[in-house]
Amino acid sequence: MNLNQLNRILLQTLLLPVVFLLLVAGLLVWQVRDAERTVERIQVANQNIATANLINALMVDEETGVRGYQNTSNEIFLQPYEFAIGPLQDAFAKLRAGVTAEQGDTRPIDDLVAAHQLWVTTIAEPMIDKVRNGGNTRDPGTNLRGKAELDNLRALSGAIIDTEKQQNALAVQRWQTQVTHTLYAVIGVSLVSGLLIGAFARNRLHAVTSAFQGTLLALRDETQSTYESEQRLLATLTSIGDGVVVCNSEGCVVLLNPVAEQLTGWSQKDALNRAVHEVYALVDETSHEPLENSYELVKQTNRPTGTRNTVLIRRDNTEIQIESSGAPIHDRFGALIGVVIVFRDVTEQRRTQAALMASEKLAVAGRLAATIAHEIHNPLDAVVNLLYLMKSGSTPEETQQFIQMASTELDRVTQISRAMLGMYRESRTPVALELKPILDSVLVLLERQLANAQVTVKSILLDKAIITGYPAELRQVFTNLIANAAEASAPGSTIEIVARIIAASHGRGRGYPRAGVAIIINDHGSGITPEDLDRIFQPFFTTKGEHGTGLGLWVSQGIIQKHGGTITVESRTTPTDPGTTITVFLPRGDAELPPHSA
Amino acid sequence: MSQSGHLVLCVDDEKVGLQVRRLILERSGYKVITAHDGQSGLSLFESNPVEAVVLDYAMPGMHGGEVAARMRERKPNVPILLLSAYLGLPAEITKLVNVYMTKGEGAPALLEKLGSLFEN
Repeated sequence: MNLNQLNRILLQTLLLPVVFLLLVAGLLVWQVRDAERTVERIQVANQNIATANLINALMVDEETGVRGYQNTSNEIFLQPYEFAIGPLQDAFAKLRAGVTAEQGDTRPIDDLVAAHQLWVTTIAEPMIDKVRNGGNTRDPGTNLRGKAELDNLRALSGAIIDTEKQQNALAVQRWQTQVTHTLYAVIGVSLVSGLLIGAFARNRLHAVTSAFQGTLLALRDETQSTYESEQRLLATLTSIGDGVVVCNSEGCVVLLNPVAEQLTGWSQKDALNRAVHEVYALVDETSHEPLENSYELVKQTNRPTGTRNTVLIRRDNTEIQIESSGAPIHDRFGALIGVVIVFRDVTEQRRTQAALMASEKLAVAGRLAATIAHEIHNPLDAVVNLLYLMKSGSTPEETQQFIQMASTELDRVTQISRAMLGMYRESRTPVALELKPILDSVLVLLERQLANAQVTVKSILLDKAIITGYPAELRQVFTNLIANAAEASAPGSTIEIVARIIAASHGRGRGYPRAGVAIIINDHGSGITPEDLDRIFQPFFTTKGEHGTGLGLWVSQGIIQKHGGTITVESRTTPTDPGTTITVFLPRGDAELPPHSA
Repeated sequence: MSQSGHLVLCVDDEKVGLQVRRLILERSGYKVITAHDGQSGLSLFESNPVEAVVLDYAMPGMHGGEVAARMRERKPNVPILLLSAYLGLPAEITKLVNVYMTKGEGAPALLEKLGSLFEN
């Protein structure tokens, strides 16, 4: 039931009685008007009766006057007769009018007037004349006639009066009937309409009540299911293993799930309504500068942020490394009503990763150890033997020669050991590096391995190919990549290594957005299958069986990404021209080469 | 101890090391022929009355273990001294040879071990 329907019902319920009242009023008015008419008629009838009585009285006066004169012959006694003539005519007229008004029969009146006129002309006036002239007024015949006429007159007027009285009585009766009818009608209509109104109102109110009840039930059900789903969501939030922070559109915390409470060190109670950057304080991993909050990022872009690794400063000022992402919360109309941030503690995970990377570094050293031993032992053995020769006696020319040979061998040792140290001595901040020396030293380290595998390396390395980075890590990467290429290559094949300087290119899809150097390592081994290609950068994935840790490419990719570069692999397994091409892009970066670099 | 001209074959891909070793052996009285890799070493072994072999392990192509195995097939009685820059070669290789030693032990040790090969 909506508001319009309710209004309609109310209107109906109120209007109906009003309508009925109006009806009843109309009825009453009609009856009253009718009664008024009846009363008028009564009045007219009464009036007529009065007039008729007056006529009677006047006629009696006339008769008295005549008789008096007849008896006394004194004019004074004729006064009643003379005074009555005028009023009698008036009264006749009035009576006539009155009877006409009630639509009665005026003929009796005409008869009366005629009879009276007859009496006046045949009895009264002659008698008066007779008396005036001293005639005989005692004629019984005339007197008898006179009386008979008078009796007639009386009868006539009596009849008129009776008629009038009848009319009167009829009218009164009718009026009474009308009143009774009206009363009954009013009572009847009131009762009926009362019942109808009652029934109608009850019906309408029922409708309202049941609609109301229905609405209440629906509301209750809705509330119930909303409550249940809220409980479910809360249970979900409480149970999930990641921390969840929800803030409203102003950036104030509205919810902190238990994992978030534990990770941030803030209880939900304390955190409620604080600014989100107070409770969830992020700093950059390396610089420890405060970072833009997930909330702010989401508010700016109105889209989910990607995952990022940052450091969270907890309430007690300790730090943990976290991985977090934020997403906007929209209402039905698409407006931003809040932000939800999900994060997890990855300190352990990062430590493990760091340990893995460190162990891989050692493993690389280990793999090279055999080579190194060889590269160092051989020259040293030669030097030791040369010293023995010199000690056990040699000619000056021989001694010169021996010293020269020893010197050369020692140079080799130095070169190798330098290259090895270069792998492990690391700078703390990225520095500007020329790629050529790095690649050269890696090739020195791998010389023996390459010779054993009977693989030749053709390299085109430009001077002034400069990048910004960490030299030891980059050596590790190239050692890994070139050693992989060597292991994949058949004896007698070649590996090509090319370093190309890249200028920044903007817009157009392919190409590198920044300036830097691309290093391309190409081998002609059997290639990598497409299925393996998807997985080669995964940790612990190796195609070398027991001989590989599976970490080399994973670590290398991590190092390249740390440098802001990219590594892509393209491989062909076709029998005609198999091989793999690895392209590493390293950005030029901001570091400057120290002056007087070789 | 002058070894009256025993013919020794030295095989090693390290040119300088080989040259120095030859000088030491010749100074001690040995007659020395040299080869830079397993293949040429084997052909010299085949075509010469070699009395002992001083063989390097780590060589491109055929490594010392393979060369020793081939030599054993051809002339099992010729003693072989295996030289290696590596420590800890697997047993299946070391049992192929009579003596195994590492580089860097020095000339006296080499001469002594080589001499011991002729004592029986």
